[in-house]
Amino acid sequence: MAEMDVALDALILNAHAKDDRAALVTLYSRAADLAEDVDTECFFLTYAHIFALELNHPSQANLRARLVAYGRE
Amino acid sequence: MAKDYIQTDITSVQQPVEQANGLANAHYIDPATFAEESEAVLKSTWAGLAVGADVPNLGDAKPIQFLGMPLLLIRDKDGELRVFENICRHRGMQLLQEAKTIEGAIRCPYHSWCYSTKGKLVSTPHVGGAGLNTHPSIVKDDLGLNEVCSYVWRDVVFINISGDAPEFTEVHADLIARWSEFDSPLYHGGADSRFELELAANYKLAVENYCESYHLPWVHPGLNSYSRLEDHYNIVEYGKFSGQGTRVYRQFKAEDGSAAFPDFPNLSEKWDEGAEYITVYPNVLLGVQRDHAFTIVLEPKAHNKTVEHIHLYYASDDTLAKNRAVNTRQWKEIFEEDIFVVEGMQSGRHAPTFDGGRFSPVMDEPTHCYHDWVAGRIARHRG
Repeated sequence: MAEMDVALDALILNAHAKDDRAALVTLYSRAADLAEDVDTECFFLTYAHIFALELNHPSQANLRARLVAYGRE
Repeated sequence: MAKDYIQTDITSVQQPVEQANGLANAHYIDPATFAEESEAVLKSTWAGLAVGADVPNLGDAKPIQFLGMPLLLIRDKDGELRVFENICRHRGMQLLQEAKTIEGAIRCPYHSWCYSTKGKLVSTPHVGGAGLNTHPSIVKDDLGLNEVCSYVWRDVVFINISGDAPEFTEVHADLIARWSEFDSPLYHGGADSRFELELAANYKLAVENYCESYHLPWVHPGLNSYSRLEDHYNIVEYGKFSGQGTRVYRQFKAEDGSAAFPDFPNLSEKWDEGAEYITVYPNVLLGVQRDHAFTIVLEPKAHNKTVEHIHLYYASDDTLAKNRAVNTRQWKEIFEEDIFVVEGMQSGRHAPTFDGGRFSPVMDEPTHCYHDWVAGRIARHRG
């Protein structure tokens, strides 16, 4: 795993530990952006989208649109 | 199918008040009989569950156990009150463990299936594999939250678990008409206008006590100074509802002697000094007076355990907290005076030779009316 991925992974685990769902939307979105293949991107997008859906987060529609575009939602 | 209990005799209950007995002991002390009765009386009618004030804001959601069933009361994004089974349609996981405000979607804490506040299934993450959130066999439109039939009247959320009761407005048409003058906005007094009382007693005993005024001079001697027994009248509508009324209600007064609370609008002269206290069968106790109203939702925790959820309402959202606090305290004192009675009757129901007792044909008819209704529901259930 790349150095940055390790750091991001730590941030995600920390956000989970704090139950900081807004941060999880942001961090999983970043993980999706950094993914090197569609399956990985959609895996992380799914998390970002679900937490955004739960929070009525402003990025919800965009995250959903990305998943729909890949035929994943 | 064999039953693990002996069916009670209800024929002696369904007699004229002069000859009738009350319901048999088993309806108060036997869990199996209570379970049968609950099917007939609490699940197939319109039972009180909660009040709208429990979820005052958009998205507010409150998990409630009712007869062991996990339910979820929610005020959806358009302000409509809804009741769902508090479980995910995926693996039956309980969705909410405690009250909260749903900002976006209800997310199941297990696999994160998400539902809208209207119960629609909106996302099923990874259901088709990692990062694939759809599957042909999982049709979202078929898998919304299971909704329980509900109807809101006077801010009380009534539910019909069986889903086959006639419409609430049909069942309670006469009561709704009787109190039509009070059909104006109700404003819950807020945190200072709600309290709970726990009873080591069957909920029916709270109803039975509430229905009649016979006990007032003995149990509530503080009322004797202005609200004498002869100032009260029975309200008896067999098969429908019962309670009591008074002709000498006095407005609640502030320290300076003025009316503390505004009257409900458009009331006729009858209500200048009139007030009524009626049970909406099976488990909701209501009181209406010119300047405030109250609601008691009886939560049947078990055959021998009840929680009274008490709420005070006003005609305006602009009332003084200090006046509301005094009013709440006074009602709490009165309702607390009743606790030893209902708990004493619960203990008394363990006397093996007690036959359900008798009724004063003059004073107890509202209570007999309730027993007769319960017996009728049971008879219909037994077929």
